[in-house]
Amino acid sequence: MLRAMGTALATLLWFAPAIAQTAFTPRDENPEEFAAGPGRDETFYTCTACHGFKLVAQQGMTRAQWEDSINLMIRRHNMPALDDKDRAVVLGYLEAAYPPRSPAARGGWQNPFAK
Amino acid sequence: MAQTERNAAGSENSIQIDRRGFLGTTGLAAFGAIVGFSAGGAGIPAAHAQGAVAPAAAPPKGPQYLKFPGKNAGLVVLGDRPLVAETPESLLDDDTTPIEKFYIRNNGQLPDETKNPDAWKITIDGEVNSKIEITLGELKSKYKAVTRRMVLECGGNGRAAFSPPARGNQWTNGGVGCAEWTGVPLADVLKSAGLKPSAKYTAHYAADLHLSGDASKPSISRGVRIEKAMDPNTLIVWGMNGQPLPNIHGGPVRLIVPGWAGSASQKWLTRITIRDKEHDGPGMTEFSYRVAIKPMIPGDKGDPSNMRILESMPVRSIITSPANGAKFAPGTKELKLRGASWAGDLAVKQIDVSTDFGASWQRANLDKPKNKYDWQRWTASVKVASDGYFEIWTRATDSKGAMQPHQAGFWNPQGYGGNAMHRIAVLVG
Repeated sequence: MLRAMGTALATLLWFAPAIAQTAFTPRDENPEEFAAGPGRDETFYTCTACHGFKLVAQQGMTRAQWEDSINLMIRRHNMPALDDKDRAVVLGYLEAAYPPRSPAARGGWQNPFAK
Repeated sequence: MAQTERNAAGSENSIQIDRRGFLGTTGLAAFGAIVGFSAGGAGIPAAHAQGAVAPAAAPPKGPQYLKFPGKNAGLVVLGDRPLVAETPESLLDDDTTPIEKFYIRNNGQLPDETKNPDAWKITIDGEVNSKIEITLGELKSKYKAVTRRMVLECGGNGRAAFSPPARGNQWTNGGVGCAEWTGVPLADVLKSAGLKPSAKYTAHYAADLHLSGDASKPSISRGVRIEKAMDPNTLIVWGMNGQPLPNIHGGPVRLIVPGWAGSASQKWLTRITIRDKEHDGPGMTEFSYRVAIKPMIPGDKGDPSNMRILESMPVRSIITSPANGAKFAPGTKELKLRGASWAGDLAVKQIDVSTDFGASWQRANLDKPKNKYDWQRWTASVKVASDGYFEIWTRATDSKGAMQPHQAGFWNPQGYGGNAMHRIAVLVG
């Protein structure tokens, strides 16, 4: 716990300049807004270290594609590496909560008269 | 729900503290990832661990609309962090897209607005005879400014139509706008620096911070072949629709590389380095802004060696009036349509519209562009035989004869080049 708090403090200091640059306040998100399921909170906080969860939730992919995305984030966007256990939790959630969907179910063309 | 059961084992991994309570007060979402969530052995509440995947209770269904000073409240937010918002087709009904309706795409954090735009510095270096360091004020006074109306379009525009879904923001057709840009041709500045024979490619850098907060990491850094950089239509701009370029659109100064993926048009421009080979900054390699050379099976992992850079954007047309979902009085027999069309580096040759899902087509009246890279507005009048539900489809053909397909084709992992026909539904009576 102490170790965790220490890390949190260090993170706060490290992020200070980044916060100062932001001229727009993103909408507050919390995990309850998104599809419930095992691993939701872990996945939410892992992804939202850098970006909004809406970026994740608007997508829908297979487990293999989600794994590619995570690898891309680690390789190219400073995401801390996940150990096998954490990776399985995050992938398990993404696979179950955000599988491939048809365009109409994820923001593509919507029939405005459909009931 | 076998999937859910399989995942339940994983949820034994714990959250050591109530992160939501802790983070809720600080807004520091970074905490979760840095601490990691399986450091300890304490379990999370059983009820939580057993929760099955269910649709989210909130936010409400339907689009999240943008709330941003000076921007139209009809823009649809695709993401808050980074801020990304698209313009519904029916808001693109102006010949020149007003600033308030222009789409927003960011890759990193939004910088604070500069207090002294004319002191903003731009550096041109790399494969040039003499490095240039110039302020925006000097750029305005030393070079001859031009104003051109040109389309700016996100490379991922149309991505939402891919099946299976491709990675990234799920743009429909709204990652596009056509504004009057004022600035100087990049070629004029490069000529003063003097390109060495080794000059092959540009590398663009900017002032926005990477989302991770790492100041040493560009949020995005793309570039173009030197031929495109020397095209007289590729501009360093500081004006948009006669106004100083707003911060949200990259002000005080950005690039406009018309016809190509919008990411080449670096916002908050600070430096252009001329390279002797293809640029390899963030956004240039692997699957970023690339399409498959040998067509790939949709949904496959893809092979980076089979990808080529998306340069010119594909042909596209949209119906800007009526809006999707418009209702007409009973007995209406004729519908007047307006729209826009564009085709990357090419021109649009022809627009056809259909009210029977493509069984038959009718030619629309197509305007000429004001200048190269302007979009082309079109109008048509279609007859409907009765009251009822109708869909109107539009299909553009570019100057080389390529038409928009019914479906987003040539699937690629990050979903570029999707230019399926635009359709709207209307109800008569």
